[in-house]
Amino acid sequence: MLVTYLAKRLVQLIAVTFLISVIVFLLVHLLPGDPSVTILGANDTPQNRLILLHQLGLNKPLVAQYATWLGQVLHGSLGQSYLTHQQVSQIIAQGAPVDLELIVLSQIIAFAVAIPLALVASRRSNRPVDRMATTTTFGLLALPPFVLAPILVAIFAVGLGWFPATGTVPISQNLATNLHDMILPAVALSFGSIALYYRLLRSDLIATLQEDFITSARAKGLHPRRVMLRHALRPSTFSLLAAAGVNIGSLLAGAFIVESLFAINGVGLALINAVEQRDYLVVQGIALVVALVYVIIQFIVDFIFTVVDPRVARG
Amino acid sequence: MGHSDGLSRRRFLSSGAAAAGGVALLGVGGPIALTGCGTSSGSSGNVATTPNAGIGSGTPRRGGSAVLATTSEIDGFYPPANHWDATGFLYANSVFDPLVAVAADGSAQPYLAQSITPNGDYSVWTVKLRPGVTFSDGSPLTSSVLKANFDALKASPLTGVAVRVVEKATIVDPLTVAYTCTGPNVAFPYDLTSQVGYVFGTAMIDAAGGSGPVKPVGTGPFVYSSWQPNDHFTATRNPNYWRAGYPYLDSITFRPIADTTQRESTLETGGVDLIYSADPNTVDHFRSKSGYQLVTNLNDTVGEPDMDFIMLNCAKSPTDDLRIRQALAHGLDASALAKLFGGGIEKPATGLFPPGSPYYSKTTYPAYDQAAARALVREYAAQHGTPSIELGTVTDPRLARIVQAIQNMWQEVGFDVTIKIFDQATFISNAVVGDYQAYTFEMFSAADPDLNYVWWSTTTIAKPGQIGLNFSRNDDPKIEAALLAARAETNRAKRIADYQTVNERLAIDLPYLWLGKTVWSEVGNQRLQNFAGMVLPNGTRAKPFDDGVSFTAQMWLAG
Repeated sequence: MLVTYLAKRLVQLIAVTFLISVIVFLLVHLLPGDPSVTILGANDTPQNRLILLHQLGLNKPLVAQYATWLGQVLHGSLGQSYLTHQQVSQIIAQGAPVDLELIVLSQIIAFAVAIPLALVASRRSNRPVDRMATTTTFGLLALPPFVLAPILVAIFAVGLGWFPATGTVPISQNLATNLHDMILPAVALSFGSIALYYRLLRSDLIATLQEDFITSARAKGLHPRRVMLRHALRPSTFSLLAAAGVNIGSLLAGAFIVESLFAINGVGLALINAVEQRDYLVVQGIALVVALVYVIIQFIVDFIFTVVDPRVARG
Repeated sequence: MGHSDGLSRRRFLSSGAAAAGGVALLGVGGPIALTGCGTSSGSSGNVATTPNAGIGSGTPRRGGSAVLATTSEIDGFYPPANHWDATGFLYANSVFDPLVAVAADGSAQPYLAQSITPNGDYSVWTVKLRPGVTFSDGSPLTSSVLKANFDALKASPLTGVAVRVVEKATIVDPLTVAYTCTGPNVAFPYDLTSQVGYVFGTAMIDAAGGSGPVKPVGTGPFVYSSWQPNDHFTATRNPNYWRAGYPYLDSITFRPIADTTQRESTLETGGVDLIYSADPNTVDHFRSKSGYQLVTNLNDTVGEPDMDFIMLNCAKSPTDDLRIRQALAHGLDASALAKLFGGGIEKPATGLFPPGSPYYSKTTYPAYDQAAARALVREYAAQHGTPSIELGTVTDPRLARIVQAIQNMWQEVGFDVTIKIFDQATFISNAVVGDYQAYTFEMFSAADPDLNYVWWSTTTIAKPGQIGLNFSRNDDPKIEAALLAARAETNRAKRIADYQTVNERLAIDLPYLWLGKTVWSEVGNQRLQNFAGMVLPNGTRAKPFDDGVSFTAQMWLAG
């Protein structure tokens, strides 16, 4: 049953990826303008434009262009930028580690803040600590990164001078400096996750604490901290982990925004620039890879859930 | 109205704009001034809010690395194929050398060229190269390299327009090339200060067309080290640089940071040593802060400044009606806009040239007069109904506020105004094919007005829907006559008079509603020295700061 379920999911994954590639291709080509304006500059005459479009293969029907592109992708080539002539795979390879690091750091911060806060608040539910934490996290949910980032920069970079306002050095160059530089962007990205994780874990913990086995543990005289950490926390984390998996998509989008706000050269910044310049192959390549990463992560999350809880596979 | 991504000549170029590309390619220009026959055309007495800002004090120190934040990123280093905006010229000044450079007085001075000499009627220019210069790959600089450069530029769809004033380049001897122009051209040396005047090694020509970016091979003070687009460009000291003793720095890194506030914050937090800006609010932000060196172009009167304006389409209804353009001009309060959005810095303009420029003259440009505007609108409305204007701009928060203010002004005098926001590529496409009524624009920066010929010429007008470099489609034979006369005119006073005629005709035709001169600034920390104090090979001072561009060879770091 498990194998059948996973096979079905795999087929769905391939279909979704194909569909995304078609949609991305069509959306990119629906954008007004074309790369010839960007490339030709002052000599954007009809003749030169025709020559260039022919050279780039953009004079062919859309279906033919898509088939060519898909053929190259299936052979492992995402093409190269019309403008800088960089390989799209190289652009992604340069930027992806930044996004990955940003997301991982933000999730470490989110879990590090949300879990202890939820443990404390759930033990004292509806008391001042809980109310304060719940109200604060509600406020955090209303603070998107593009609002939060300039505030963080104004206070902690320009005001206190603790962190740089923009940019970072690569991990390979200096790990300590890199981590220091990434703190503000990671914090900006983590706030939404903190609120989400806190609220989910708190409510699950409160429900778990009503269970008989917790009452039994308390009756045995176990220390409250042990009850919380060893008995209540583990069974309360299912929703939290599910949310973390589903959250990947919004984290990717958030990371792209945060990159732009902190001038960090990740995939998001490359995508924004490529859209502005109608650099079709870069946009298509990045969108395809991001979509692929997303569906693979969802597939892995589904797989884990199926293993943890076989009822999922039974439908 | 400041830059704010309106549509600067260079930004236009960097974003691949058809026409603006041409402007930048045609040059950073300057007036008639050559070896032995130089004249000045103004003064680049840039405003410095700290004493000797940008000029090195003390003995220059060798070594160290400087980081400069630029306003944009380029698409490559290869002059025949890539679009250089202000950032492109900054990079170019580090790894290449121009044949000619603009001096502080606006004259054109030889740089990589040892001399540049015209024939009797200025139709043939002879360029003699400096001997003993080598490229970063060890190959020598010779006339055959220069000829190969010219051929590549001429054949390129991008730069072909920039060198169309030159019919052919002929090798005279191993270090001398003669450029034959299509006619008398007194401004030709200024063409060589532009993208087409930066000399590149033949290895770049060989590499062009292959896969991957073409790495720069130049004679400049620095040598290419690494380039990650939108992240950084780093170049290291050229140990064989032909200008003895330069550069001072061991390496230089450029970081493109598009957002002005981010750039300012990065300087304030020590992330970079220098920032460039085309937002007047940067001047306002730093002029009262200690610990920074601020240099601006506010008092610069060399040639023609970068201008902010509303461009009107003279070939599309209702802006094809002169009464409408007059009413729009009368209804636009440029002074109020400058106060509101110019950071208290920008000054309203009434023409192409600022007061103090040799080209400046008073024009009949319409003054702000709501009553006159209303009367003209009523007159038009009686025949055609209430005029509707679509005011276009690009996605930029500051520009959005500016066009909203303009919308209110024009609605007050009887227009029905709608605002339309475009992405840069669509905006440029529409301008090139004449599919607009009124657009916010920024361009024209040139040390010599001749470099703007294509934007005003009647020969570059196209029908709506077709590509034309005269974006406003202003068809004025008097402007064409004055432009051609100026190009061939060797008498300086007469030449100035020709451009004053152009300026006056623009005030009558009203294809452009002037807002102000674009305020460019560069702000350095106290560590970086001499970022605006470059001296040219012949000992004259270079124009210290040209709309976001400076030289890097003589920058140094204080201890």
